[in-house]
Formats: sequence, structure tokens, C-alpha cells
Amino acid sequence: MVYALLIAASAVFVVPFAWLVVSSLKPIEQAMAMPPTIFPRAHYATIDGERIEVLIDYTLPRAGVVADAIAGDQAGRRVLLTPEQALARPAELRNAHRVGAGWIRVTERLAQAESAATVPRWDVVPPEAVSTQIKFRWDNYPNALAALGGAADPKTGEGGVSFWVFLRNTLLVCVLGVIGTVISNAIVAYGFARVRWRGRDAFFAVTLATLMVPFPVLMVPLYGVFRELGWIGTLLPLWVPAFFGSAFNIFLMRQFFLGIPEELSEAARIDGGNEWTIFWRVVLPLSKPVLAAAALFHFLYAWNDFLAPYLYLTRKETFTLSLALQAYQSQNGGVQWHYLMAASTVTILPIVVLFFFAQRTFIQGIATTGSKG
Amino acid sequence: MRSVVLTAILLGIGVPGVWADGADEGRAKVRVSYWEKWVGPEARSIKAVAEAFNRSQGRIVVEVMTVSPIDRKTLVATAGGDPPDIAGLYGHNLASFADAEALMPLEEFIRRDGLTPEQWLERYYPVYQRIVQHNGRIYAGISTPAMITLHWNKTLFREAGLDPERPPRTVAELDEYARKLTKRDPQTGEITQIGFLPQEPGWWPWIFCRWFGGELFDGERITLATDPRNLAAMRWVASYSQTYGAEALARFASGFAGQMNSPQSGFFSGKVAMVFQGVWYNNYIREYKPGLDYGAASAWPSASPGIDDFGMAEADLMVIPRGAKHPQEAWEFIKYVNRNNPRATRREELEGSELLCYLQEKNSPLREWSPFFAQHHPHPYIAAFRELSASPHAQATPDIGIWTEYQREVLNAFTRVRLLLETPEAALASAQQRLEKSWARHRRSLELHGQIPTKKGALAP
Amino acid sequence: MTKRERRQFFTGLGFTSLWIVGLGLFTAYPVLASLYYSFCDYSILKSPVWCGLSNYTELFSDDLFWLSLKNTLIYAGVSVPLGAVVALSLALLLNQDVRGRPLFRVLFYLPSIVPLVAASMLWMWIFNGQVGLLNWVLTPLLEPFGLTPPGWLVDPAWAKSALIIMSLWGTGNAMVIYLAGLQNVPRELYEAAEIDGASGFRRFWHVTLPQLAPVVYFNVVMSLIGALQIFTQAIVMSSAASGGTGTEMDGFPARSTLFYTMHLFATAFYDLRMGYASAMAYVLFLIIAGLTWLATRVSRDRLN
Repeated sequence: MVYALLIAASAVFVVPFAWLVVSSLKPIEQAMAMPPTIFPRAHYATIDGERIEVLIDYTLPRAGVVADAIAGDQAGRRVLLTPEQALARPAELRNAHRVGAGWIRVTERLAQAESAATVPRWDVVPPEAVSTQIKFRWDNYPNALAALGGAADPKTGEGGVSFWVFLRNTLLVCVLGVIGTVISNAIVAYGFARVRWRGRDAFFAVTLATLMVPFPVLMVPLYGVFRELGWIGTLLPLWVPAFFGSAFNIFLMRQFFLGIPEELSEAARIDGGNEWTIFWRVVLPLSKPVLAAAALFHFLYAWNDFLAPYLYLTRKETFTLSLALQAYQSQNGGVQWHYLMAASTVTILPIVVLFFFAQRTFIQGIATTGSKG
Repeated sequence: MRSVVLTAILLGIGVPGVWADGADEGRAKVRVSYWEKWVGPEARSIKAVAEAFNRSQGRIVVEVMTVSPIDRKTLVATAGGDPPDIAGLYGHNLASFADAEALMPLEEFIRRDGLTPEQWLERYYPVYQRIVQHNGRIYAGISTPAMITLHWNKTLFREAGLDPERPPRTVAELDEYARKLTKRDPQTGEITQIGFLPQEPGWWPWIFCRWFGGELFDGERITLATDPRNLAAMRWVASYSQTYGAEALARFASGFAGQMNSPQSGFFSGKVAMVFQGVWYNNYIREYKPGLDYGAASAWPSASPGIDDFGMAEADLMVIPRGAKHPQEAWEFIKYVNRNNPRATRREELEGSELLCYLQEKNSPLREWSPFFAQHHPHPYIAAFRELSASPHAQATPDIGIWTEYQREVLNAFTRVRLLLETPEAALASAQQRLEKSWARHRRSLELHGQIPTKKGALAP
Repeated sequence: MTKRERRQFFTGLGFTSLWIVGLGLFTAYPVLASLYYSFCDYSILKSPVWCGLSNYTELFSDDLFWLSLKNTLIYAGVSVPLGAVVALSLALLLNQDVRGRPLFRVLFYLPSIVPLVAASMLWMWIFNGQVGLLNWVLTPLLEPFGLTPPGWLVDPAWAKSALIIMSLWGTGNAMVIYLAGLQNVPRELYEAAEIDGASGFRRFWHVTLPQLAPVVYFNVVMSLIGALQIFTQAIVMSSAASGGTGTEMDGFPARSTLFYTMHLFATAFYDLRMGYASAMAYVLFLIIAGLTWLATRVSRDRLN
């Protein structure tokens, strides 16, 4: 019984992911088809002697004749006529062939780049002649990532930003932020946990109190500070503050440091070490779990952050992945859903990979932070 | 010994030469960033002008970038301390940006060039002089101006028995022509063609108030509901719905709704015989309905006693945002675009404003037109637009900092009035109420910052 | 202070020096500056000028302020308790002796670490009225009753519900915390209750819940504080609907997703009314502080 519920619940949680990936691998018309299909398909048929990928238009209700008109009505085009119409003007038609009721009209499927310039060919073929197979459109991914950067003006070539730039910006912010978080908070937390000094506990209480301050309160003055520094429009506001500590991480690490036995510090003190060497040689090496957890969570937070980039970044070349994704979707011209799903998957994938490598740290980290309340 | 002397001479010549070259390379060019709203052919035209400027001197390089939406992005960039050197705002942005202190006033630059502000403004027709000012201070140059006037379909005029070369001269005539140009289906009674529709295109309902002689803002107070002539304008709008039926008009208009840029627009498809449109309309006609036999009037029909040369003006501006890194160089380019070669007799001799306006097929805001520009302009009715620009009764948006909101309120009132959902009195009164509240707040903010609006200066009407 | 104490003092200061700068520059200064700005007319391009309480009085008479507050309270008031119930239920299920617990745990947890922007895109797609997955599932279910599924993100009556449903997908985080809490409940308590003849439900009510209470409590409060500041998902979904017109801060559709932080952001950075926005920020601060205080009172009385 429990299993049934769990399986049902996990299905609800997993289906969106599955749908995300599946949609990202479909061509646009299948992505937007109703009823939806699970797997993207490709249909093949022979047109003019060539086996090519086609779109299925409709089924013929009555028998007819397909021919190329070389004169008269619709000259230069392929036409679908009733048998009587075809018999009336045999001289004007070439490649005439009978098509039966129940046959399928198919049109050549052109790649996106060609679709503007070329006229697609079509024909009517018997149903057996159409083969269908599952085909994942992997090229949605490179196309989506290119579209993410915005189309370059075809005349000047300016305006397009490579996806790698977004990735680089995001990694920069995450990695530098992690370094800053780990270093600064460890040092500060040590000062709160292992050094007895006047006013320490009051100061710590103030630190905890700041957890209650919502970001909007800080937003406007912080913007002013960064403006004075000339940092608006750069990535600096996104990672420099991490080097100056954060209340939550201080709390977390202090909690951990408090659990390290005093005797170890004492022993080092007797050996003539000062606080810094104790920190560096004794406490820090024992703190790998909490440092890893803090690093992991900050990386996650920085990767997923949207508000700060939205606030501080102005030029596309500086955008992080989340911001680039939102900017792409909100631009004029409507949304290419399959590309959007592909781009979204790309921003999610690294986190999923990270999770699988660092599962234990994740779970343990959350459990400790949440439980201590 | 000779070789030593030779070497010394060569060094003596060569070294300073190298130094000089080095110095020239060392004095790097100043890059001026210019954000413009335009895409397509309009973007190409401004880039061509920028290139002409860059070629004409070696110190400054102007780089044009297409940015959208131009007003929001410029404001955010200025607030963030990293604005472009020049921004191509809309004319109706000027008052609010100036009130926000987001723009650099230009008097200093003008004076440094040895002119007084009045002398600088003399180059423009009066209406354009007003457009670049806010509370008596100059904040912008003009890239391209526009005049809006009555366009009419000559073919439909002929069909209705009207003189195709004679547009209506008064509002009464406009209404009468509209009646004559309206056709209905004999069986269903549905409108198939209309002479005039106030909501086509419906972008500037506030101009109707000005057209009837009404004031929207007297420098101190909102006068939307208090000036009786604004009420008269709204009554006139309502009269169309009353005459032809609000639902009938809505049904009719839905047939070409949202088709502005296509052959199916009301005017192009021959469903609307007369429309107020801008100097740019000729480009659209050429693209969507080439061969359309149309006329453009050199003045609006008279709606206010004694004023028979009314016209509406708009402009695209060039401003220097506060905090721009190269304001002086930005000014050099703005100057370039705001002058012309008054003696140009050939296309290659066009400079600055005339080059830009020639490429975009618009009128020039300058008083003096070169012979080539005046005689070989691609727009068939450019002379009419020149007359409109020169008129002392041409009007642009009122100089009030809350204009975005004001415009929204007038549009809302206009829509409700023409749908006969509300009487003109009620619609204007409720808009007035909301605007008074907004204006009071805005004014209080200006007072706190010592920016109290001054009375309109001598240059304004 | 003794010599030793002084040395310790400076050592402590040394270690916490980075935080002193951080606290001062990035927290204390902004908190105080915001308070000052809230009594001023300030728009980053002009210096702040004192204007007393006028921002606050204007705030309380502004329709949009109340609307954004209402929208935010509705969202937080529904999504937080609902989220806690879902997370707790899943945790309870997983706490049973089940095989494959790690796998289930992963499946439930993963959605909560996904970037919010990407998740919003996905759910926008799922909630699409015409071609979305959800309506495709719901249509046959509702047909027998003569009902059709709503347009979700384009329907003002349902847009918030869509956001709430989306938030439930991300409760894996809380679930892990609750699971850890459940597993920390001492066995002896359960055994004692069993000996006393308590049924499953009574064991839950009298043993599990009280033991878990502090954890649940802390999480609910933190979730509430977070939910009151909802921003990213709303912006993304609203901007998709408004399609590049730059009105993403309007809370499309029909302002039903105009949330407090969004309105604050728009007022500060689009209208450039930063004094007013600071006043809004302080009101939010007071609300959160009030809630936290209330919560602490309750915890002291009830959960003792």
C-alpha cells in the first residue's frame, strides 16, 4: 500500500522531468501537437525518387491524379486533380500518376535554415509507403543554445552571444563565490566558536538577527553602493560579497566547530600554537564535511540565482544562464517551445550531475541545517 | 665620418617622425556609444549618417547600437551609472526623463560653441524648438521629426463626387465628407466603407483636444476636464459613434484591426477614406499599397475658430544621459545631425539632418532646406509637410513630467467615450481626478528636490 | 580587561573581521539606509530629500500596494501549509521500512534543486492551455462532469493556483529535513507507546508529531518568509505572457500575479521611486518580524 502511494507520488514528481526532456527532442510541430505524443517521430516517404523526411498532411478521401502542370492553370506547380480534370488536359501535365482513396499527402520536411528560401516538394503516396520511426531531434540542442544568445544581425554580424559565454559567466560567479564562501565563513565561524572574547555572544546574536532581514530591504541601498563603485553591469556584485561572510553559513560552521573536542585545541595550544595555527592545522582539516556542504549549497544557490543577475546585469555578454534563459523567452516574436525546453534542460543538467556525484553531502547537509532549527 | 653624419641626420629626421606617428596612434579615438530604437532600413540610415560623421573627422567614432525598449533600457542604464553617450528617445519621453534628472542639459555645450541657446534654437521651426525643451531648458537634439496630417484616398473621393485635390477645410466639412464617403451594404445595412474613423489609427487621441483649441496643461494645473474645448473634442468623437452606431463601427473596424502594417489596413484596403497619419506613411504606402492615389493636406481641417493651419508634430530625439562618459564628443555628433549643408544641390552634398531625413523620407526640422532636399525629396507631398512644420499653430505633446500616465488616461477616456460607455463629461472628469492626484505627487517630489516647474518661457506658445 | 582578555578580544576581532566588513557594508548600512530612504523622496539620480511619512501614507492608500499584498498573502498562505503537508506525508511514507528509499528520496528531492527559471519554463509549458500536458490529462477527467480545465496561467482566477502547484513540486527539500527528523525520533518512545496499546494514528499524534514539531515549525516559518518574497517564478511566467512588451512587472494576467516583491522592484527600478520602494520594503520587514515574533511566542507556549 505504501509502495503504491510512493510510486504514484514519485511518478508525479518525475513526469515533469521526463516531459521536459522528451519535449526538447521533438520538432516544433510535434511538440505542439495535441494529443501529445511521447516520442518524437520522423516520417519517411519517397518523393520524386528520393527517400526523404516528410510531414503528414492529410488522407485523401477520393482517388485522384497527381501531376506537374507545365502549362495552363497553375503552371510550374504540382497539382492534385480529379481523374476527369486530368483527362481534360493531358498535354499540360507531366509525371501524372494515379493516387487512390486513403492515400496520404506528404510534404517534404525542410530544415529550419532552408525553409524560408525553398519550396517544399510534396506528393501523395500509399500508406504502406510511409515509414515511421522514432527520431530524436538532437539538433534542437545546438540550435537552442545558439538562439539563446540572440540572433546576430545578418548584415552586421553583431548581437549574437555564444552560449559558452553564459556558461563561463555562471561558472565564474559560482566558483569564485564558493571559494569566498568557504574561506570567509570558516574563518569567521572559528572566531565565534573557538575564541572566547568579550562581546562575542552578543555579536553572534546580532548576526543571527540579520537572517530575518528580507532582501528587498537591502536591495535599493546595495544597488546604490555598487553604483558608486561602478560595478553595475559587471559580475562583481554577484560574487564579491561571498568573500565577506554570510550569517547562515557562519551559523552552520560555528555549529560544526563547536562539536570539535576542546582537547584537540588545548593540545595544540600547549605545543605553542596560536589561534590561527590551531584553526589551520587542527580544526579546518576536521571540518571537511561542513565545508563541502557549504560549498555545495553556495554553488547551487549561485547557479540558480535569478534576482541578483536580473538586478545588476545589463549587457547580454555578462548574463548568467538563468538570466539568459529568461531574456530569451521574454523577447518579441513568440516562444519556440522545443528550444526553450532544450535550453532549460541544459541549465538543469549540470546540477543533476553535481547532485549524483555529491549526493551524500547534499542530503546530510540539508538534514543537519534543517534539524538544528 | 660621413656615415656617422648620415646616420645622425637620418636619426634626427626619423626619430621625431616615429615619435610623431606614435603620438598620433597614442591619441586614441574617442568611441561614442549611441543607442537607437530603429531596426531595418531606419537603422541603416542612421548608421550611414554616423559613418559620414566618422569619415568627416578623425577624432571621434560614433557606434550605433539597436536597443529595445529604448526608453526603459536607457533609464535603467542611467540609474545604474553606465549609460550610453547618446540615447535616441521618443519626443514624449523628454519631460519625464528631464524631471528624473536623467539627462544632461545642453546649454553649456551650446555656450561653449559661442552661441546663446536662443540662437541655437533658431535653426528649428517653432514647434520643434518646443519639443527639445522642458521647462525652458534644452535637453535634446532631433534626429528625425515627423508631422502628422490628414491623408485621403483620392480614388474614393472621385467616386463620391468630391474634388480629389481638395481636402476638407473645417471639421464640419470633414464630417460632411465622411458622410458622403460612407457606404453601406444595400441588403444588410452594414458599413462597407467609412469616410473617417476617430480611432483609426487611434494613437494620439489627446491631439483631438489640442486640435479643438483645448489646453491639456497650463503649466500649473491639469486642465483636461476644466477646459471646455477638450470636452467639445470628446463630444465630436462621440458624435461619430452616435451617427454611425457604436457597435456597427466596432464590427466594421474589427475587419481590419491589428492590420496596420499590411495591405489589409483600413486605409490601404480602401475601407477608410480619410486618416490622420504621419510623414512616414508614404513609406508604408509604397510597401503595402503602391499606386494608391492619395493626398496629404498641408493643414488640418479647422476645428478652432481662427486657426486654419493646425498640425501635429512628433520627433525622435538625441539626448545625452547623465553620467555619459564622453558628453562633449556626443555633443559634436548631435550638432552634426542637427545641421545641414544649406547649399546642397546634389545628393552627395547632403549632410547631417537632411541626409538622415532624406534616407528615411521624412521632413527636416530645420528652417532652411537645401535646394536638393526641397526639390528632390522622395516624398511626393514633402512641401505640405514643410508647411505644416512652419505653422505657428503646430502642436506637440504637452510639457508635463507625468505624460505617460496622462496619455494612458486620455486613451482610456477616448475609448470609453467612443464606445458610448460613458459621457464625455464623466470620462474626462474621472481622468482629471486621477491625473490631479498623480500630478500633485509628482509636483511635490519636484518641489522637494528644488526642481519646481517654471512658467512656460517666452519661446513656448 | 586583563592582558589575556585583550589579546583574546583582538584575536576574535581578527577572525571575524571579514564579517564585520560584510555585515557593515552589505547588511547594516543597507538596513539603516533603507529606513532613511523610506522617509525620503529618492530616485538614485537625485539625492534623497526628507519627506516624512508621506511615502507610508501614500502606500496605505495605493490600490496596487494592497493588491500585491493580498496576492502575496494568498500565495504564501496556501502554498506553505500545503507544502508542509505534502513534504510531511512523503517523509512519513519514506520513513516506513521501504526498499529503494534512496531512489525515492532522490526522485522527490531533485526538483527542489532545479534552477527556478528553468522550472518555471517547464511548468509554463505544462500549464499551457492548449497544448500543455496537464490539460491533456484533465480534459477527459472533467468531461463527464461537463467541465473544461482552466487556462491556468492566462486565467486570472487560476494563475496563482498554478504557481502554488508548481511550488509543491519543490517540496523535496523540506521532505529530506522531515525525514531526517523522523529518523531521529528515539525508538524507545514508539515502543513505549505500543506497549501502552496506542494505534498507529495515536502513535503519530502523541509521539511523532511532538518530536517533529520544532523541525516542522522552523521549516514552516522559513518557508513562509521565503514565500512572502516570491519573485522569480512570477516574473518569468508573467513576462512570457506579456511577450516582450516590457510589462512583465504587471502581474499578468490582470495583475493576479502581481506580488509584493515584484511591485517593489518595479517601483524602485522602473518608476525610480526608491523612497517609496524602501517604505514597502520596511513594511515587509515588519510583517516578517511580526510573524517571527508571533511564531516564537507560539513555540514557547505550545511546543514546550
